[in-house]
Amino acid sequence: MSKEKMSGATLAILNNRFQGIARKMANTLLRAGRSGVLNRGRDFSACVVNANCDLIAAAESLPIHVLSGPDLMARSMMELHPALKRGDAFLHNSPYHGCSHPADHTILIPVIDDGGVHRFTVVAKAHQADIGNSIPTTYHGTARDVYEEGALIFPAVQIQENYETNEDIVRMCEMRIRVPEQWRGDFLAMLGAARIGERELLSIGEEIGWDVVEQFERQWLEYSEGRMASALAKLPKGRGEATSTHDAIDGTPADGISVKSIVTVDPDECTIEVDLRDNPDCLPCGLNLSEACARTSALIGVFNSIDPTIPKNAGAFRRVRILLRENCVVGVPNHPTSCSVATTNVADRVSAATQRALANIGDGIGMAEIGAGLSPSSGVVSGVDPRTDKPFINQLFLGATGGAASPNNDAWLTYLHSGNGGLCFIDSVELDEVYQPLIIRERSIVIDSEGAGRTCGAPSLYVEFEPESCEVEVAYVCDGVLNKPAGVRGGLAGGGAPHFVRRPDGPTRPLGQAEVARIADGEVLASYTTGGGGYGSPFERPVPRVVHDFREGWISRERARNVYGVVIDEDGVADEAQTQALREASVTA
Amino acid sequence: MRLACDTGGTFTDLVVETNDGGLQMFKAPTTPDDPIRGVVDAIAKAADAAGLSTDQFLADADTFIHGTTHAINAIITGRTAKTALLTTKGHKDILVLREGGRADPFDMTSPYPAPFIPRSLTFEVDERIGAGGRVLNALNEESALSVLSALKAQDVDAVAVCLLWSIANSAHELRIGELLDQHLPDVPYTLSHQINPTLREYRRASSTSLDASLKPLMTRYMGQLDRRLEEVGFKGRILVLTSQGGMIEAEELSKAPIHVINSGPSLAPVAGAHYGAIEPGGDIIVADTGGTTYDVSLVRGGVIPLTRETWIGQPFRGLITGFPSVDVKSVGAGGGSIARIDEGGMLHVGPESAGAVPGPVCYGRGGTEPTLTDACVVLGYLDPDYFLGGSIHLEYENARAAIKRGIAAPLGFTVEEAAASILTLATENMVQAIADITVNQGINPANAVLIGGGGAAGFNSVLIARRLGISTVIFPELGAALSAAGALMSEIASDHRATQLMTTRSFDQDAANAVLSSLEEEGRAFLSRTDAPYERQKISFSVEARYEHQVWEIEVPLPVNRFNSVSEIEAFVEVFHAAHERIFSFRDRESPVEIVGWAARASAQLHDGPVGRLAQMDAEHSDKPIRKIYLPNEGAVDAALVRFGDLTIGEENRGPAIIETPFTTILADSGSTFTRTEQGSLVLELD
Repeated sequence: MSKEKMSGATLAILNNRFQGIARKMANTLLRAGRSGVLNRGRDFSACVVNANCDLIAAAESLPIHVLSGPDLMARSMMELHPALKRGDAFLHNSPYHGCSHPADHTILIPVIDDGGVHRFTVVAKAHQADIGNSIPTTYHGTARDVYEEGALIFPAVQIQENYETNEDIVRMCEMRIRVPEQWRGDFLAMLGAARIGERELLSIGEEIGWDVVEQFERQWLEYSEGRMASALAKLPKGRGEATSTHDAIDGTPADGISVKSIVTVDPDECTIEVDLRDNPDCLPCGLNLSEACARTSALIGVFNSIDPTIPKNAGAFRRVRILLRENCVVGVPNHPTSCSVATTNVADRVSAATQRALANIGDGIGMAEIGAGLSPSSGVVSGVDPRTDKPFINQLFLGATGGAASPNNDAWLTYLHSGNGGLCFIDSVELDEVYQPLIIRERSIVIDSEGAGRTCGAPSLYVEFEPESCEVEVAYVCDGVLNKPAGVRGGLAGGGAPHFVRRPDGPTRPLGQAEVARIADGEVLASYTTGGGGYGSPFERPVPRVVHDFREGWISRERARNVYGVVIDEDGVADEAQTQALREASVTA
Repeated sequence: MRLACDTGGTFTDLVVETNDGGLQMFKAPTTPDDPIRGVVDAIAKAADAAGLSTDQFLADADTFIHGTTHAINAIITGRTAKTALLTTKGHKDILVLREGGRADPFDMTSPYPAPFIPRSLTFEVDERIGAGGRVLNALNEESALSVLSALKAQDVDAVAVCLLWSIANSAHELRIGELLDQHLPDVPYTLSHQINPTLREYRRASSTSLDASLKPLMTRYMGQLDRRLEEVGFKGRILVLTSQGGMIEAEELSKAPIHVINSGPSLAPVAGAHYGAIEPGGDIIVADTGGTTYDVSLVRGGVIPLTRETWIGQPFRGLITGFPSVDVKSVGAGGGSIARIDEGGMLHVGPESAGAVPGPVCYGRGGTEPTLTDACVVLGYLDPDYFLGGSIHLEYENARAAIKRGIAAPLGFTVEEAAASILTLATENMVQAIADITVNQGINPANAVLIGGGGAAGFNSVLIARRLGISTVIFPELGAALSAAGALMSEIASDHRATQLMTTRSFDQDAANAVLSSLEEEGRAFLSRTDAPYERQKISFSVEARYEHQVWEIEVPLPVNRFNSVSEIEAFVEVFHAAHERIFSFRDRESPVEIVGWAARASAQLHDGPVGRLAQMDAEHSDKPIRKIYLPNEGAVDAALVRFGDLTIGEENRGPAIIETPFTTILADSGSTFTRTEQGSLVLELD
C-alpha cells in the first residue's frame, strides 16, 4: 500500500492540508505575539520538516528564515538529543547549530506518533525585540566575537519535557533580556504555535495513516524537484559571476566586504550551482553569515530569478548545489565568530551577487540588486519616555523601499531587503508617535533616485524624525551608503543611503555607518533608504512608462531626457521626433 | 409589503415579504451594464407570479431594501470620480507606501499596486498636529488656498482630506472643509476624522479617498434607482444595505457611500444568526457558495465580528478599506472554478473561474474547461433535465468529455474518480478558508454550526463539515438568497466612532463618559432622522482595545453605558480578558488594557415580528425515486431522490439521499440523517 503511487489529485489535497497546518501556526504566532518586530516586521516563520529534516511546508514566512535553517536546526536537535519523546520542546538560536542568528529564538517540537516514531519536526521562529546583547539592539554590527555580542546562546536546549516548561531557563532569560515580559509573551506565542502544528500533524497521521503520509512526503518532494528541473531546463546554459560589496564598518577591510557569487546553470542536467567559496575568511565583526543564512541567501538569489510558483522545499533544493567553505564570511562560521547581523546585510549582498550573476548569463533571467536594508529609519530606538517616565525599546519600521527590477517588471516598492522579500509592514506615523516620544517630520519618495532601466528599481525613501522633548538612542547597522544597489544588463544603480543629523542652528552632524547614535532634543535624524537597481538599458524603457513616471513625479523632465532619452514637452507629452533622434543617437554612439 | 433585493455577481435576488408575512423568492440575471435593469426585471418576475402588473404589484410595497455591487464594481474597474487627496506636508506618499506587506516574497510577476489616488493629484498642506492633538505647525491658509486653486485647474470631481492626527484635533480639516465650501462649492469632499475616526493614517486616508471618489457616482445611482422605481410604480421608502450588516436611508448613503462597498455579503451572517440559532451563544459559520467565490462569515456568540482589514481585490495587491466592516473571507472557489492538471501532474481547482460567461461546459455556452459544476453533473448530483426547475438544460455528455480529456486521462482515472477529485479539492480550498477566518476570530469550527447558503452549497457542505468535525449543517429555505433574506431581518443602523487613547492604568472616568455621551448624541441624531419610534431605538457601546505592547486591537462590547465606579471599570477589564482569551486562548492578568477607539451603534428594528416563511413553490422535477450517484468517500451508491416539499416536518431520514428544493440540491451521505424543520430549513446531522 505504502509504495503505491498516489495520484496528482490526492497529492494536491494532502499538500493543501499540510500548507494549511503551517499557515495555522503562522496565524497563531502573528496574532498572539507581542513585540513590534514580530507583529509589524513580520519577522517570524512557521514550518514543518520531516524526519529526514527535509523542509515540507512553510507559510507566509520570511525567506531568510526558512529556505535553509529549519533543516539544520532539526538535525542538530536530533544529534544532541537522540532519544526524542512526545512532549519535548527545544529552544534554539545558535548560529553554530543551524539557526539564522541569535536574535531568532526558535521553538522546535518533534512530532512523535503513538508508536514512538519521530515523524516530523515543527519549527516556530521569531525575531525577538531583545536577546540580552551587550548593547540595546539585536543587531550588533561591530561585535568582535560572540562574547562581545553578549547574547545568551541556546543550541537546541530542552525547554519542555512532558509538555512542562523548564522554568529555570525561562528565569535565566528574564534576568538577561530587556523588557522581559515582552520576550515571555513571544516565547508563549511560539510554543502555542508549535503545539498547534504538532496536534494537527498527529491528527492527519491518525486519519490517513503514517504510511500514506510518508508516501505523500516522498511524492511532494519529487513533484517539487520535477517542477524545479523543468524551470531550470528553460534557462540558458552558462556560467556567470558577480560581486556585491558591503560598506566598510569597524572590523571589516577598509574597502568593505566584497562578496563574489559564481553561478553555473546546466539546463541539460537541470541543475544550478552557486559557489561562494572564493570569499574572505570570517571577520572580527557581527556581519558574518551563519551556515543557514549563507545557504538561504544564495537560494533567495536563485528563487528570485525563476517561476514563482515552484514550491520552495527540500525537493526543489535537490536541484541546487551551494558550495560553502568553513571559516568564510559567507560560509560556515566557527564558534566564537559573531553572526549577530547574519540575516540582513551581507546575506543581502549574497542574494544580490547571485541574481546579478544569473542576469549576466542571459537577458530575461536574474534580477538587479535589491537595496541594502536597515538604515536608521529601521533602527532600534530606546530611551525614557518623558510622557510616562518609563523606558522603551523598539525597532522602528518607518519604511524602506529597495525593490529591484526584474526582467519584465518594475520593482516591488516596499521590499525592505532581500531576506524579507517585502513581507514587512510599515509603521503608521501616528502609531509610532504614540509608542515612542518621536515626531515623524517627513516620509517621502525621493525624485530621480530610482534604479533606471528598461524596468526600474525602486527610488529611495527620505525619512526625518526627531525626539519629542527628550533624548533617544537609535541603533543601526547601515549598508548602501557608498555601494549603492547596482543595476544589471545596462540598468543603473538605485539611490544610496546617506544619513545625518540636522541641527536647528549650525551645520549638520555626520553619523557613522554602524552605531548607537544619540539624538538630542532639538536634533532631527535624517535618513535615506536605498533604492534598487534597474534591469536593461533605460533607453529601452517604453516611452509611455517614462512619461507616466514624469507625470507622477517619480522623475524630472531632465532625467527623462538625460537618462531615458525621452523628451517631454511643456504639456507633459513626449516629443516623438526628438525622442527618437535622441534614442537612436545613443545606439549609434 | 417589503421587498429585499440584492444585486450579486451573477444573479439579482429578490425576496418579497407580503403583508401576511409570507415570503417569495425570485432571481433575475444581473445586468452589469445597467444594474437597475436587473432589479426591475426581478420585480417584474414577482409581479408576474402574483398575476399583477408591476404597477399594481408595487402599489402595495412600502419598503425597498437594496444591496448593491455598484460601488465595489466602480472601484475594481477604475470608474470612480477624479479625486484629489489633501494631506499633511511631508507625508505625500501615504497612499503609495500603504502599510507594506506582500503576498508572496518571490513573485516578481505581480506589479506593485498603484496608489488609489495618483501622486499627481495628491497635495501637501503646510500644517501639522502632533500626537494628542497639540498644534505643532498652524495651518498655513495661503498654502491651503494655493492647493485649492490647483484643484480648480485640475478640474477634480471629488476631494479627500486626511491630515495627520485630525482624529485628536479636527480644526485643520474642518477649516479646509470651509475653504472647499467657499472655493469649490460644487465639489463633494470627505474629511477623514468624520468618515473614519481611527488611528493609522494610511487606513484613514484609504477610507477617505474611497468615500470621496464614490460620492458623485453613488449619488447618481441612488437618484436613478429612485426615479426608475418610481416609474414602475414604487412609492415607498428605499433603504440600502451596509457593509456593517445594517440598513441606512438613501440620503445617508449619498453622504457616506463607503458604507455600501460590501453591501450584500455582509448581510449573510445576519440571516445566518437567525437560521443557525439552535442554542443561545453558539458559534455559527455562514458559507455562501456562488458561481465564482466562496464567502465565509461568522457569528461568534451571537455577535457578528467586524474587521478593519477588508480588502477589495487580493490581499496586499488590492486596496484595504480600513473601514470597520463585517468580516467576510472570500476565496476563489465556486461552481465555475476551473480544474486543471499542471506540468508536474498535480491537480488544481480555481482560482480561475469560467464565470457567468462562458460558464461551465455543461451550460453549453462555449465553455471548454471542466469546472466544479461539471464535476457535480458527472457525479449525478444534478439532473440535466431539471436544473433550476428545468429552466436550463445541462449537457451531461460534454461535461463528461471535458473532465475525461482534461483530468481523468492525465491522472489515469475513471471520469467519476476524476470528478470526485475535483469536488474533494474544491472542498479542501473551502475548508482552508473556514480554517483561516475561524482561527483569526478564535472559533473552533468543531463546536460550530455550518450554514450552507448559496445555490451550490448542497453539493459538498457535508464533505466540508466532515473535514472540520462539524456535526450540524443547516440549509435555510432562503439559503439561495441569503443576503436578501438577511436584509429583511436587518435593522436600520449606524456606527459612530471616536478615537481617544486611554489605559486602565490611569483611567479617566470623566473623559470616557464625555466620549460616550457625544457618541450617544450622534447616534440619537441619526435615529431621529429615521422615523423609528423611540421605544425601538437602541444604542450599544463598544471599544477597540488591546493589552499593553500589543499592536492590534480587538472590538469588545462595553458592559455599561457610562462609567460610574471603579467596579464598573473592573467589570470592563474582565470582559476584555474574556474576549481576548476567547480569540487568542490566553489572558494576561498583569497587563493594563489600552482603549484606542470608542463606538456607539445606533439601531432600530423597523418591522414587527419575526420574518415569515417561504411560500411553497414546487418546481418540476424528475419522478425517478432513486438516482445513481458517486460520492468521494463511498463510490457509487443508490441515493433516494427526495423532494423537500414531501418531507414530514420533524421526521428524521437517513442518507444517502439527494434532496431537491426549487433552488438547490442537497446531498446527504450514508453517515448522515436529515430533517425538515418547522422553520423551513433542512438540518443535516453527521454521525
